[in-house]
Amino acid sequence: MSDHPVSAHSATEHPVADHGTIAASAFPGMTRGRWSIAGLAVLVAFAIPLVISNQYTLSVMVTTLILLVLNISWNFVLGVAGVWNFGQLALYALGGYGAGIIMLHSSVSPWLALLAGGLVAAIAAVLLAFPTLRLYGIYTSLLTFAFAEVIQYVILNDGSGLTGGSFGLPIVPGLYSSLSLDTSTKAYFWTVLAVVVIATVALAAVGHSRLGIALRGIRDAPAYAAARGVNPLRYRIFAFAISGFLAGIAGALYVSYNQSISPSVMGLTPMSVYVTMLVIGGLGTATGPIVGTVLVQIVATLLVTHPGAEFTILGLFLLVVVVFVPDGLVGLVGRYWRKVAAWAAEGEQAEPDQPDGEPAEGAPAEGEQEGSPDPHVA
Amino acid sequence: MIATNIVGIAVTTIILGSIYGLVAIGMTLIYGTLRILDMSQGSMVMAGSFIGWGILVVAGWNPILAILAAFIATFILGALTQLVSVQPLMRRRTAIDFEMVTFITTFAVAMVLTNVALEIFGPFQRNVKSVVSGSISVYQGVDLPYQSLTMALVSIALMAGLGIFLARSRWGMAIRAVAQDLDAARLMGVPVGKLYPLTMGLASALAGIAGVFLGGLYFAYPQAGDLPLLEALIVVIFGGLGSLPGTVYAAYAIGLIQATAEVIVGTTWSLPILYGVILLVLIVRPYGLLGRPSEARL
Amino acid sequence: MSTGMTSEPMLEVTQLRAGYLDTTVIRDLDLAVQPGEAAVLIGPNGHGKTTLLRAISGLIAPTSGRVVLGGQDVTGRPADRIAALGLVHVPQGDGLFGEMTVEENLMMGAFPASSWRDRRAALARIYEHFPAVAERASQRARTLSGGERRLVALGRALMRPSQLMLIDEPSLGLAPVAIDAVYDAISELKRSGATLVLVEENFTHVGSVADAVHVIEAGTIIASGPYSELSTDPAIVQTYLGSL
Repeated sequence: MSDHPVSAHSATEHPVADHGTIAASAFPGMTRGRWSIAGLAVLVAFAIPLVISNQYTLSVMVTTLILLVLNISWNFVLGVAGVWNFGQLALYALGGYGAGIIMLHSSVSPWLALLAGGLVAAIAAVLLAFPTLRLYGIYTSLLTFAFAEVIQYVILNDGSGLTGGSFGLPIVPGLYSSLSLDTSTKAYFWTVLAVVVIATVALAAVGHSRLGIALRGIRDAPAYAAARGVNPLRYRIFAFAISGFLAGIAGALYVSYNQSISPSVMGLTPMSVYVTMLVIGGLGTATGPIVGTVLVQIVATLLVTHPGAEFTILGLFLLVVVVFVPDGLVGLVGRYWRKVAAWAAEGEQAEPDQPDGEPAEGAPAEGEQEGSPDPHVA
Repeated sequence: MIATNIVGIAVTTIILGSIYGLVAIGMTLIYGTLRILDMSQGSMVMAGSFIGWGILVVAGWNPILAILAAFIATFILGALTQLVSVQPLMRRRTAIDFEMVTFITTFAVAMVLTNVALEIFGPFQRNVKSVVSGSISVYQGVDLPYQSLTMALVSIALMAGLGIFLARSRWGMAIRAVAQDLDAARLMGVPVGKLYPLTMGLASALAGIAGVFLGGLYFAYPQAGDLPLLEALIVVIFGGLGSLPGTVYAAYAIGLIQATAEVIVGTTWSLPILYGVILLVLIVRPYGLLGRPSEARL
Repeated sequence: MSTGMTSEPMLEVTQLRAGYLDTTVIRDLDLAVQPGEAAVLIGPNGHGKTTLLRAISGLIAPTSGRVVLGGQDVTGRPADRIAALGLVHVPQGDGLFGEMTVEENLMMGAFPASSWRDRRAALARIYEHFPAVAERASQRARTLSGGERRLVALGRALMRPSQLMLIDEPSLGLAPVAIDAVYDAISELKRSGATLVLVEENFTHVGSVADAVHVIEAGTIIASGPYSELSTDPAIVQTYLGSL
């Protein structure tokens, strides 16, 4: 399958069938040409602070990058592992508060505090992972959502002064407090960008590894995966741990850059924005979060003075994308790319598209996964 | 003192339970027939609140008119939501989980409705006149506002009405048929293409009526739907997706838990305790009190 | 299949292709059933018998080909529309509404009927014909035995006037006594002039009602003929019917 021009970032590869025949390269589908383009994109990104001097713009970009780390982490557990996890923002907050409190109350290096934030979130995530396995899909949403609500509540109503309640933490030194404002913004930009690149590459690698394939197998065909001896608990804990750690890092970066954090980072509104980012970009793909986050942030920044209009547009955008382009913009581009590549490579049989719009009659089969053997075929 | 507490808890349970039930029963109806979690139900409550405000406060008309207007308006909104955010996805057979996708699309509808309201009405909380004012003293120290009492009675009446509709009427039976066996229902000639939007319209209308009353108790503002949505989700999942009796039991159970927690630990911690109880219940009974998703009963 | 009559077929399927997602199950299938005829579909499991019925009744939409019911082209129409035009499909495993009572199930059978009175009249007729069903009227369908459920399903199929009845494996999983009762009912259907398409594995009983037999293999009809002919064809008998 590695010579087939499938986008490396497509989450639609046949999952468990590849188990045991993993391509030699960790990134099937990435040709030298693609690596060059990716490398170029990263270089351009790194050059941005050298070109743009507008503080506000740079600041928005840093915020976007931090959100991107969060979204990449969420994309992994929501999209690749397919878990109805709505507690990611709580993990984000835990990372932020954890790092922030450590930075405030100890003289530990802020970089270690960053890692500590990631660890705190990772541990919380692993704890969350256990009960999710026991619950049927949608019930997990309530469980994780309840978890997020409890965390938010506890922080808000903390009278001990540790978290500062609804006011948030007092000024946190952060990573680059010794630098001037301009320089520190640039420093944060590069730092977070580095995290983004590392995270994207790492998670994409994981996504194509045994772990990723197993996760997708568990997500798409749980019975088959179980029959192949895949242990859902182990993989789910892995997935939650990785994604939790990354979310924690994102939160720690947030508290460093903004030098504070408050419970308002959690809640239904930010969650809906981030879900929008993920879905528009393409849930479960490697570059989807990047596309989605950047796009939505642009809209949000342009309309920052009209939150009502902004969210209305985002909501409509989300609706349209999900209905017409369910695998997001990345999926859309991926499909057309495949069509073009197939047309260009004459004689090569075009791979059948993802089954969308197949003329099977309307309403969904009751609880049945599409594609599972139909018991009615006589 | 204890007696006052017990009576207080009982009264609060009935009030809370009834309103939770009314808001949640629509979601269960929708899940049973369409197999989706409708995240726009909260915004239907909000719409109802604003309609209540418009009719009762701005126009100064009769409360019955407010209820009727809310019913009609949210019925239409609900049907439209189904046609726009669910129906197109039914013809789609992609690898993506139908439930998750419709969760997102109905969520998107909620976002749009909430923010349109924000643009039109602004973020201010508007006072909605109570449908009925005054209160009655039930026991020493336990005051029961007529608004709450009316709300509870209307909720109970509507829940019972829905039950009768489903049990006795031709269309009610058709809805149950679709919930139990979609293919068989289609073979009986049930026009599912019409039934789906009607069901969602009906469910949304119930939420809209709840909104008229809740607006009187709280306020009418764009985010007014967030909390009812959350409460409905809790009730529906706790009671078992797709089970109407389960939803009703769960509504009162949760009302009881919340009322008791409020008395024992105060309002601040009652919500986390509620969540804690729910987590425990879900661990013991992963499908909620009465529900197994493949056997939606309605 | 030809029984000598030249009137318009009640059901005409032409070059039908149908299946699920990426799989084609029915390929280039042609079938014609005359009014009043009882056509039986036999063949190995998984070769498309049930899929064919579902494509005819509209539960799945054909990818190509035509389905004409009583002179009307119903290809690709939604199942509920086709049902309202007079097609009754009793699916495999009866398709009863488990949580509803027997009476409610029967009433659902008459869903398209215009008035409550018509529906109650139909109900009375069914109770007369099927006393066993009448006895269990207020019992929940899922508490009935397999044979009883099958009878309820057949009774339900009779609750409204129909042009064509599709019955999928009526004897599946039933004890011999129950099968007798089921086939008594089916014979009754035939006697009253209904047009039937039966999918059946159990060939012993089918003989009493079948006019024409069609053998389906790999999604297409490979042999057709009157029952008398095919039941004595050694090749058919050996491959599909075992011993009669």
